[in-house]
Amino acid sequence: MLNLTPVPIKIVDCYDDGENTRHYQFAIQETEQHLSPWLKAESGQFFMLCLPGVGEAPFTFTTLPNAQGDFRALVRRMGSVTDALFQCGVGDIIGARGPFGRGWPMERLLNQRILIVGGGCGIAPLASVINQLIDSQQFIQLEVVYAARNQAALMLNPERARWQHLIPIFNVVEDMAGLSDGEFYPGTATGILPKVLHTFGEQPDTVLLAGPEAMQTAAAEYLVAYGIDPKSIFLSIERRMHCAVGLCGHCYLNEKYVCSHGPTFSWAELLQYDIAC
Amino acid sequence: MHKTYLLDSLDELRRHLAQSHEIYQVVPQSDGARADFHWQQVGGGNWPDLVEQKPLQSPKSFFFAEQEPLYVFDGETFEEVLPTPMPFVLFGVKSCDLMAIHYQDIFFEEDPYYQARRKQGLLVGVDCVTPCEQGFCQLVNAGPSVRDDTADLVLHPLDGQRWMLVVLSAAGEQALHGLALEEASPEDLHQRWENISHCEQSFPRYPYILEGIDKLNQHAISDEFWQQLGIQCLGCSGCTTLCPTCSCFATRPIESASSQQTSVTQVRFWDSCLYESFQREASFHNPASEAGQRVKRFWYHKFSDDFVPEFGRYGCVGCGRCEATCPGVIGVHSVMKRIADDA
Ligand SMILES: Cc1cc2nc3c(=O)[nH]c(=O)nc-3n(C[C@H](O)[C@H](O)[C@H](O)COP(=O)(O)OP(=O)(O)OC[C@H]3O[C@@H](n4cnc5c(N)ncnc54)[C@H](O)[C@@H]3O)c2cc1C
Ligand code: SF4
Ligand code: SF4
Ligand code: FES
Repeated sequence: MLNLTPVPIKIVDCYDDGENTRHYQFAIQETEQHLSPWLKAESGQFFMLCLPGVGEAPFTFTTLPNAQGDFRALVRRMGSVTDALFQCGVGDIIGARGPFGRGWPMERLLNQRILIVGGGCGIAPLASVINQLIDSQQFIQLEVVYAARNQAALMLNPERARWQHLIPIFNVVEDMAGLSDGEFYPGTATGILPKVLHTFGEQPDTVLLAGPEAMQTAAAEYLVAYGIDPKSIFLSIERRMHCAVGLCGHCYLNEKYVCSHGPTFSWAELLQYDIAC
Repeated sequence: MHKTYLLDSLDELRRHLAQSHEIYQVVPQSDGARADFHWQQVGGGNWPDLVEQKPLQSPKSFFFAEQEPLYVFDGETFEEVLPTPMPFVLFGVKSCDLMAIHYQDIFFEEDPYYQARRKQGLLVGVDCVTPCEQGFCQLVNAGPSVRDDTADLVLHPLDGQRWMLVVLSAAGEQALHGLALEEASPEDLHQRWENISHCEQSFPRYPYILEGIDKLNQHAISDEFWQQLGIQCLGCSGCTTLCPTCSCFATRPIESASSQQTSVTQVRFWDSCLYESFQREASFHNPASEAGQRVKRFWYHKFSDDFVPEFGRYGCVGCGRCEATCPGVIGVHSVMKRIADDA
């Protein structure tokens, strides 16, 4: 039977990281038995954050739960739940349910050429997979494109600074005011793809995309035209969610539910659905 | 072979079941000008007759509650709140509604709230012997006779005010324990099949429904058609509320304060995929912003082959309630007729 009841979590730490965005560290306040499902969390999966009296909303892990039950998430302030979270302080107890959904296809990433493209907040579901790959060093080639609207909207700044030393990172910004050329490229995620693909010796085996749906679909279409198989391109799809377990109906995509069949889908799967954007 | 018995009246059976169960039945309810039929608890020695009419509301809310608590937060911990209903009998459920319960049983198989109610409910079905208004259960394999895997017991009206009682499940058999009943004869069984086959043959043909389903699955319906229909939909949620297989819900917290502490109860309540805000995200991106997309979604969910592998059937059980309730022209007959004619 499903369990739809949250476990208490404590806010352990948080810092501002991008406009209206904070990186949070949470700790699950529960026994070992409650912890065990969280220890099986995978990159690209998500959890429901419960602000008692306000509501629940889905977020991805930027760092997966460890043996002490600590995990991290990047949260952008968008409405009531995130407002209430931003008003909480370190030490406060709130709730979480999870982990939910299907994560990134990790088995396809082992010793491969991998391209990762994140737009805006879409870098959040990619952070843990990038860290995992960098830590294991089990890839042939790994490059990351990160796109933001302007300087203020740049997120995961400390993480990107660390990655920068280890792998090629293409930071693209639409409005370059205040930023220097060299470190940043002017433009959009799709605009820079030709240049990035050119740096791959052979074309990437697998591509991971996350960010605004219109950006993801435009990038996927470009990559297919470039010759990459739709089965090798993976997207992370966002939908309104209430239950996160395939019952409430809100996150439908044809006969699938994004919460349980996704949020990651291959482009080949999505081409069969009417994905409206 | 199922066990089959004869009953001279339904009272003895209800009296017996009432020793261990609350009994619910469809009764007429008149509010001034119009008479409707509703599910209601019955008993106290006063057993109403089984009415032939299909109730306005299906028994969906007995298992999937219109609003119910999920958990309570007391400031430190979250406690699951599971429902604890008394054992109950739904006495005289029509075949179409039983098929809808069967469908929901599959959908909510892992849902602890639904299942806590469901395991307390005994289903006593009743075969229809005349087609109901706007019903087309026979076209979607849901009626008019009760299917073997959808009820615990089935009633069938025989001549001379007698009833046949068919036992379909172990729970049904268990519920009859202690009741001495006469077995039905082969002639009685024969009469049941005669009645059912006569009923099946008396249904209007409704060829446009099959044609509509076919066009829908061929993806032969234009977006303009759905958009036109969407504009006519008031988004009132009448159809999704009355449809026995609709199961979408939303959640919200309700705070309650006592002198000692404030606690928060998270509740879930019926929602409708026809509402504009159903898929609207916090960022205001709305993947179903067009009314046409939402109406299309509703009809796909009822009739698309894409859902058949999971449920073994279409989502529609042919009760016709959507037609009866829509203040516009968006019931199954109107929509399918228009699809067949001009979509
Ligand atoms: C799988 C997934 C992963 C995500 N990961 C992240 C992440 O890592 N970081 C991040 O910042 N964001 C993420 N998001 C987006 C994030 O979930 C939303 O921005 C979040 O819902 C915002 O909540 P809110 O309180 O600010 O919005 P609100 O609009 O206040 O929504 C809060 C609650 O109200 C509901 N609601 C929303 N709109 C309406 C409406 N019109 N009417 C009624 N109820 C409504 C919501 O479903 C939710 O239950 C993710 C989304 C998904 C689907
Ligand atoms: S749709 Fe069929 S089973 Fe349902 S009430 Fe009408 S005739 Fe009976
Ligand atoms: S779609 Fe209409 S006819 Fe079909 S089950 Fe729902 S309410 Fe009944
Ligand atoms: S969030 Fe409820 S079905 Fe996906």
